[in-house]
Amino acid sequence: MLEVTNLETVYHGVLRVLRGVSLTVPDGGVVALLGPNGAGKTTTLRAITGMLDIHEGKVTKGSITFDGHNLVGKHPEAIVRLGISTVMEGRRIFPELTVEENLRAGAFVAPPAKLNDDLDRFYTRFPVLAERRHGPAGYLSGGEQQMLAIARALMSHPRLLLMDEPSLGLAPKIVKDVARLITEISKDGVSVLLVEQNATMALELSSHATILETGKVVLEGASETLKADADIQAFYLGMGADKTSFRDVKHYRRRKRWLS
Amino acid sequence: MNTFLQLCFGGLALGTSYALIALGFVVVYRASQVFNFALGELLTLGGFVMVALCDFGVPWPLALIGAMGMTGLVGAGIERLVLRPLIGRQVFVTIIVTIFVGMILRSLVLLVWGPSPVGMPTPWDPSASISLWGANVFYSALGAVIAGVVTLIGFWWMINKPRLGIGMQATSSNQETALALGIPVGRIFGSTWFIAGAVAALAGIFLSMFPRNLDSNLGFVALRAFPAVIVGGLDSIRGAVVAGLGLGLLEVLAQGYVNEHLGQFGHNFHTVFPYLVMVLFLVFKPHGLFGTKEVERV
Ligand SMILES: Nc1ncnc2c1ncn2[C@@H]1O[C@H](COP(=O)(O)OP(=O)(O)OP(=O)(O)O)[C@@H](O)[C@H]1O
Ligand SMILES: [Mg+2]
Repeated sequence: MLEVTNLETVYHGVLRVLRGVSLTVPDGGVVALLGPNGAGKTTTLRAITGMLDIHEGKVTKGSITFDGHNLVGKHPEAIVRLGISTVMEGRRIFPELTVEENLRAGAFVAPPAKLNDDLDRFYTRFPVLAERRHGPAGYLSGGEQQMLAIARALMSHPRLLLMDEPSLGLAPKIVKDVARLITEISKDGVSVLLVEQNATMALELSSHATILETGKVVLEGASETLKADADIQAFYLGMGADKTSFRDVKHYRRRKRWLS
Repeated sequence: MNTFLQLCFGGLALGTSYALIALGFVVVYRASQVFNFALGELLTLGGFVMVALCDFGVPWPLALIGAMGMTGLVGAGIERLVLRPLIGRQVFVTIIVTIFVGMILRSLVLLVWGPSPVGMPTPWDPSASISLWGANVFYSALGAVIAGVVTLIGFWWMINKPRLGIGMQATSSNQETALALGIPVGRIFGSTWFIAGAVAALAGIFLSMFPRNLDSNLGFVALRAFPAVIVGGLDSIRGAVVAGLGLGLLEVLAQGYVNEHLGQFGHNFHTVFPYLVMVLFLVFKPHGLFGTKEVERV
């Protein structure tokens, strides 16, 4: 279904970020893309969704195809219309818009006839959000916002859902809810490419995983096998204290990136 | 003769033009956070295109629509050529660029049509008026109100069409996220500039009817509509319309009732009122009547 081959990208014409990344998402599968900060996970998703452009980046080599359609150089709108939808890093709901307006924005490329059914289905699934459908989405809790962001991405009826760190900044209980939701989405027949730093969760949910470090694939294989791998355990799974510091570093850098 | 009613009609006519101009500012600002300081020159351009079309023998109503459409296209062209490449840049960059574009437009208008004022063609006798409830109302003022209201209703209908409306809201909230959802952000910017150009042309045409004439300084009137933008709340379309009408009324009423008491000093005193209201709003209610307050990002 999604086929990324030998992908290389640059930012600002000079900054090479991906150096030959390949990965495949099969029809109906859940594939995890793991890696530490700055590995290039988000950049990979931007390349797939045609969003590199607005970050002054571009694909310099390799190919991306979705059901045989070439995606490199396509406009984001065209890519969404082909059936690829994204839940971006950091949720990114529209805070001033109501819950319902957020969902309707997600349905922009979908046939309007389906809209009401879709909204109903969503509200049955998330009763809390149904109650607050006409309130600003910015007042929802972090977990509710993440649910809304996922639901919004589903409103376009994608066949492939890209998720960038959906567990980031959420309480463990909410992370479990998100995990359950991802399983349900995949059961509904939507393929998922799940970008995560929470490797425990991602390996649990996925059938296949790719691990990225400084723009290169360092490991890939069946999630079962990777879970058992001693290195992975050491680097990505077992380390309580280190992991929090990972996150701190990340938040710091992210703030810096936004300020610059 | 009923002076009060007379002033009210005059105020509504002026207010309609202010409302249209404010709308032109707001619709672009909402979508792309760009202050369009070229808008004033689009008023002038619209006026001259109208005159040219009428001179060409195009029937008046068609010329009106044609002038709105063409000025709209010029607006969309400016967006595509000049502003689209600047998406994501700081606000002051786009401000400088729109001022610069305004200067170019002004020079072009001067080059093509020259500096001398021309009369705006009207389908009625330019100084004709009718008596409504004892008030003397110029046909041109009545025409301005009717055309303005029709345009505002048409515009209202357009932005409440589910797709365009929600696309504009999403784009104004976060461009990148909107893009990721498949919303054609670029085309939405283009449509907002088209709308701005079209309403500017309409305002320009009616503002340069009797007693005023059309000349290359018409663009400065856009600055006089600026208080309506602030008072309405910068990103609120409803606010632009309400504040535009209100301030137009206020200005004309002040002209009728206040100026005469100030003697020499009062000659142009009424034009100060909208700015006074604006300053009060900036101090006490900076988000204006209906502007969005920043929603706390949890
Ligand atoms: N717009 C940009 N301009 C220049 N460099 C960028 C830009 N975006 C990202 N980078 C750089 O590209 C590299 C990869 O970033 P990317 O965001 O893809 O990493 P990531 O794996 O998603 O990391 P994280 O886990 O922190 O989200 C980093 O070194 C980052 O600083
Ligand atoms: Mg990332």
